Amino acid sequence: MRLLAQHGASNGGKTTRGLEGGYIDGIIYSPRDIAAEKLREQLREATAISPDTHLLFDPQYYAGHNVVDPEPRLGRLDTCEEYGSYFRQRRRRELESGTSVLRDDIDDCLRFQDKLNLSGLIGPNILISRSFDSVEAVIAKNFIRLTGAACAKLKLGRPVYATLAISREALLDKKELVEFLTDVTLLDPPPKGFYVLVASRNEDARSDIFNADVIAGWLLINYTLSLNGYAVINGYSDLLTPFLGVAGATAGATGWWSNLRAFSLGRFLPAGGGRLPVQRYLSKVLLNRITFFELNQLRHRYPNILNGLGTDDLYPEDKGSEPERSQEVLQTWEAIKSLNQDLVDADVKKGLKLCREAIKRAGAAYDEIETYVRLDPKSNRDHLPAIFEGLRLFAESAELEGTAFDAD
Amino acid sequence: MPTAVLDPETLRRHVPDLDSVEPCLDSGGFKSVYAATVRGKKEALKVLGVRRIIAEPDLVDAFYKEQIARIGREIKALRECRMLELVRLGSIAPVEFDVNNEKYIAYSEEFLEGQNLWKLIILHGQPPALGELVQLFRSLLRCIRKLWEHGYVHRDIKPANVIKTPDHRRPFVLLDLGIAFSVDETNLTFKPEDRMPPATLRYLAPEMMQPDFRQHLDFRADLYTTGMTVFEYAAGRHPLARDSDDLMRTISRALRQPPAPLKQHRQDLPDSFCNLVDGLLKKKPALRPANMAMLFQKLEAMA
Repeated sequence: MRLLAQHGASNGGKTTRGLEGGYIDGIIYSPRDIAAEKLREQLREATAISPDTHLLFDPQYYAGHNVVDPEPRLGRLDTCEEYGSYFRQRRRRELESGTSVLRDDIDDCLRFQDKLNLSGLIGPNILISRSFDSVEAVIAKNFIRLTGAACAKLKLGRPVYATLAISREALLDKKELVEFLTDVTLLDPPPKGFYVLVASRNEDARSDIFNADVIAGWLLINYTLSLNGYAVINGYSDLLTPFLGVAGATAGATGWWSNLRAFSLGRFLPAGGGRLPVQRYLSKVLLNRITFFELNQLRHRYPNILNGLGTDDLYPEDKGSEPERSQEVLQTWEAIKSLNQDLVDADVKKGLKLCREAIKRAGAAYDEIETYVRLDPKSNRDHLPAIFEGLRLFAESAELEGTAFDAD
Repeated sequence: MPTAVLDPETLRRHVPDLDSVEPCLDSGGFKSVYAATVRGKKEALKVLGVRRIIAEPDLVDAFYKEQIARIGREIKALRECRMLELVRLGSIAPVEFDVNNEKYIAYSEEFLEGQNLWKLIILHGQPPALGELVQLFRSLLRCIRKLWEHGYVHRDIKPANVIKTPDHRRPFVLLDLGIAFSVDETNLTFKPEDRMPPATLRYLAPEMMQPDFRQHLDFRADLYTTGMTVFEYAAGRHPLARDSDDLMRTISRALRQPPAPLKQHRQDLPDSFCNLVDGLLKKKPALRPANMAMLFQKLEAMA
């Protein structure tokens, strides 16, 4: 199970430090936030750190179709000429008029990436914004099917992943999701795997993604695709990464801003402004982040709040446990990577059992720390019932009998 | 309603080129089968008696046409999908004839030495070893792959339709494409809205129970019945159905009841094999591993 950096604005060497420290296994680049020339330079640097670094490029084609705003924030997608070789703002009418437009866009997108020093190529797609029973879903399915055909035709010599971008609303209809999966698991020729994105309404809405049905649907996608032999790379999966790994994911990703920890089209819309968020510490035992000042209050009263990993040192006690902002993400990466090691097992039932135990431990930890501090709303235990129920619903819909969730 | 069994002399009168016919070997459902000699060569003569399997006289013609079309599809599929693991056509093309005002159709396939798996299961002999089970699994997967390449779903894979032969080149041969489904051709079922889907209920893939199954049916229905067949041959018992079950109970089990893991019945078999068989018995087609290359690779590793 790989952990990748979800690249975004203001990298400032974070990914390099992540690779050098061994906290991440690779990077998914965002063309919105980096010019092509700079990207090539960073790819060279990343490969120099380790030739095994997993380097991918999210073409962000969906932004050209799904972002509906007179002044979208497309960044380098709009201004970098090289990206113009594949990035187009397509209307639905063009995309549903036939497959030639789709074929051309897929070919151009893959050919562009083929010139870069990447480990695999990601096909373009639009976002299924409402329902699997929609024209958008048909177009998305065509993109996926034609991506498989394009990799056979273009003889790219590197794995190609089809993008599957879905809104959390679409995931709520379990029947439609299962029908969609029934179709996409029968592709001929198939791509190597999928790059899966689950879009929330905005990146700050914790309840959008920490919803039992959304989690169950996301897990089911990973499970179904992986058992059919596909590699599944999840973008913006953040804290759900280890749970997705239990369901069969090949990789998950997260980054340094909240808009790199949850996927939303909001990052392509005009910014609303606001202050920088307070730095947080990802506590493995809580399966959640707490603010650095909560960490400072708890680190002696409840020492298990600390992960016991190297990046704990980035939250120095003599500075009130406040980390440098640029280093916060290193702690996130190391903690998630460690959770992956703790929870992910080749046997999905064993993995589910480990998850159940971790959630129970988190509940017990919250019981204790809530007697010491009043937690910030984002630090509280609201995510736990959603993850627990999400795993239970997943086990049920994946027809996994005899799991640790059967009794609940 | 039992299928009509005809005496050898009657068959010889109506079917050309028959040197001799032995008494009926097997009968049930739609057909009866005879060992026959055709121009000096032993073949399996299949005879379909239409009136006996349908109660309402005014539906006989429609049903008869359906059966003719099904036989046509079976022959076409067998011609397109020639392979060692699939039964081959014999030399007698379909012949239509009447006996006592009842309609019959006869045609032939190669005669296979050996025993069908159903008979071996009810004999309760030595449980088959892993090597034999892997051979069976591989043979059925090869058939499914070949049929699907030509747009067919067999729809009736079950122990009674698999012959274990003494020929090491083709240790298992799949029979009877009589209810094969074609994704490229028109539906053959007369009045489909009034009838159960054509299949053997004990081996019915759950998705076949959906009213619109013809819109979505694919080879994963055959993977399910392959899982059933391999499970039953390995364990000596059907994964879901019980002899005491009525029709509704059988359907209900197919739709809702998860089968007990194969490992419960065959603890000597490796987990990897049992998990593979169990995986094919999932109710949702998307949850059955359908990547053929991966399935063959896993079986190779066990062989």
